[in-house]
Amino acid sequence: MNFHRLLTSAFFVTWLAASLRLSGPVLLAALGETFAECSGVLNVGIEGTILLGALASFLTAYVTGMVWMSLLAAMLTGVVFNLLLAWMYVTVRASQVVVGLVFNVLALGIAATVYRRALGESAGPQSVAMFPALHIPWLSGLPFLGPVLFGQTILFYLTLGLVLLAHVLLFRTRFGLALRAAGENPSAADAAGISVARMRYTGVLIGGATAGMAGAYLVLAQIGLFRESIVSGQGFIALGIVIFGRWSPWKAALAAIVFGACDALQLSLQLTGVNIPPQLLLSLPYIVTILAISGLFGGRAIQPAALMVPYAKD
Amino acid sequence: MKLIERRVTPVDSPFAIACSMAVAVVAAMVVTSLLFVLYGANPLQAYGALFHEPFATWRGFGYTLVRTAPLALIALGTIVSWRSGFGYLGFEGCFVIGAAATSWLALSTAPGAAIGPLPFFAFLLMPLLLSFAAGALWAGVVALMRARFGGNEVLISLMTNYVAILIVQYLVSGPMRAPGGVPETAQLPRATWLPFILHGTRAHAGILLALLATLLVWVSLRKTPLGYELIVSGLNPSAARFGGIDVGGRLVLAAFLAGGLGALAGTVEVLGVQHRLMDGISGGVGFTGIIVALLAKLNPLAVIPAAVLYGGMTVGANAMQRRAGIPSSITFILQSLIVLMVLASDILRRYRVNLAALRPVVKTETR
Repeated sequence: MNFHRLLTSAFFVTWLAASLRLSGPVLLAALGETFAECSGVLNVGIEGTILLGALASFLTAYVTGMVWMSLLAAMLTGVVFNLLLAWMYVTVRASQVVVGLVFNVLALGIAATVYRRALGESAGPQSVAMFPALHIPWLSGLPFLGPVLFGQTILFYLTLGLVLLAHVLLFRTRFGLALRAAGENPSAADAAGISVARMRYTGVLIGGATAGMAGAYLVLAQIGLFRESIVSGQGFIALGIVIFGRWSPWKAALAAIVFGACDALQLSLQLTGVNIPPQLLLSLPYIVTILAISGLFGGRAIQPAALMVPYAKD
Repeated sequence: MKLIERRVTPVDSPFAIACSMAVAVVAAMVVTSLLFVLYGANPLQAYGALFHEPFATWRGFGYTLVRTAPLALIALGTIVSWRSGFGYLGFEGCFVIGAAATSWLALSTAPGAAIGPLPFFAFLLMPLLLSFAAGALWAGVVALMRARFGGNEVLISLMTNYVAILIVQYLVSGPMRAPGGVPETAQLPRATWLPFILHGTRAHAGILLALLATLLVWVSLRKTPLGYELIVSGLNPSAARFGGIDVGGRLVLAAFLAGGLGALAGTVEVLGVQHRLMDGISGGVGFTGIIVALLAKLNPLAVIPAAVLYGGMTVGANAMQRRAGIPSSITFILQSLIVLMVLASDILRRYRVNLAALRPVVKTETR
């Protein structure tokens, strides 16, 4: 074993930079999911929405080569499919876990079928244009901090901005108050003149837009190609992050970075040639998420009181 | 008078439920036929092809039974856990854990291995017990987190799937790997294979196990005090607690049964079909099984028909992919759309249609 190689500054720089880069998609997905959950909807279908967002951004980038257009296409796809989900959750009032789970299978089917139709059966993996890493003048030249904080893609900084926006929207506006009221006590919210259904639709649609963005982030800022296993549970991890972050955007950001660090550890350790089975490291993000939401630490999370409870106006 | 009017309470006669379900299935098939058109196929012919191979050919029917067995076992596990109020979604993990435990045991009974060859019937019971125990523990840990610490079993069980799949990936690329280019174990000794039960097909004894399990689950849920306690705990935990039922304990027990059933699905797949352990052995069956349980409306007796239908669809889709080049992933779409539409069709029962509103209003002339 050559553990001394781990203690170099180069190792930490690559590890931390990758941690931030990898935390982006789950953070984006978790931000929108926070809105959905605060309004009273647990959206297990987030995994499928991310996958469809990834597919939409990939196909748009493949055809047009324009990254911003692809990001927009992914967001639109997320909103359209989440409209369907919101209808099932809010209007039909079906079980949220069931609908979300079945939707994920549907999304997998759609993604596999459409991808094959678009690229043909025999085509190998095709790469597309990606967001370049920004090199902010002067700042990115800083030792250590430069490459970690100031060498990310623009999507990362956009995500950080959205954390701030989400916090302000949720806790500093009338809209946020109404949204949270719909998730805490829908009948009281209803009596106060808030449309619970509209709030929940809005929550799920915001979740769709950011989940679509998360899919685009995976394609346009991380790997540059599409495969059916591209999401591999990151939507579910985002759900865990929302719980671990106690339904607060900036705490979710911290949780997402912890997740990103686990994920990045595997990449960085492979580069140093330390002999650990890759599967052990790959399972780390899932195990950390399990422990974080197991209730073993810090008691039971206080979730929105009406989470997963459909509301029927009499 | 309006043509479509909202009812005060949804109509819940069996006829209305059957009608709305029929509408749902037709709607799902219509939407899927748009995809067939996308591939330049005639939808009617495509549906014919989808159902001909699995249900109208002897060989295909054998494959249908092969696909049915694991789906039915996982659906039964779903029913036991969900009706007990334990929203377990970790069957993909239980499946591969069961498959791994079974493969390890079967490989140990190869000539010259740790245990050595055993007569078939002595062997048969051992993998079933070991696999059931492994799956039960795997799901039981999640139940313990829920019962003791209030963790969210829905999300935790989803995460455990990935951990289980990575464990199997490690096993087949490391300790259990057979020499050769592909990460997989050696073929299991022929003596450990499940016998084939229909001449000229690949149908194996796993389907008998699924039938037996269906009967056992139905009897124990419907006819025993334990089943009663499980279902009451699921319907109303606090009422159950007042009634003197140890709800937490029942939850863990339900998870044991569910995980065990899910692992048996893996055993059946390894001993009946694949005859070796490899990465990606589950192929989403852990989720399709849950969908089968939903289609069966969580009724054990409806599991076998639902599983035969969905298993058959998978077989038909594979045949369609070979012949017409339509990707088999289209079945995922059809299978999930049917359940989504059935769920959505509940909304139909909230409205009534007033045909009287269509008639022209006759105005009486007044002077």
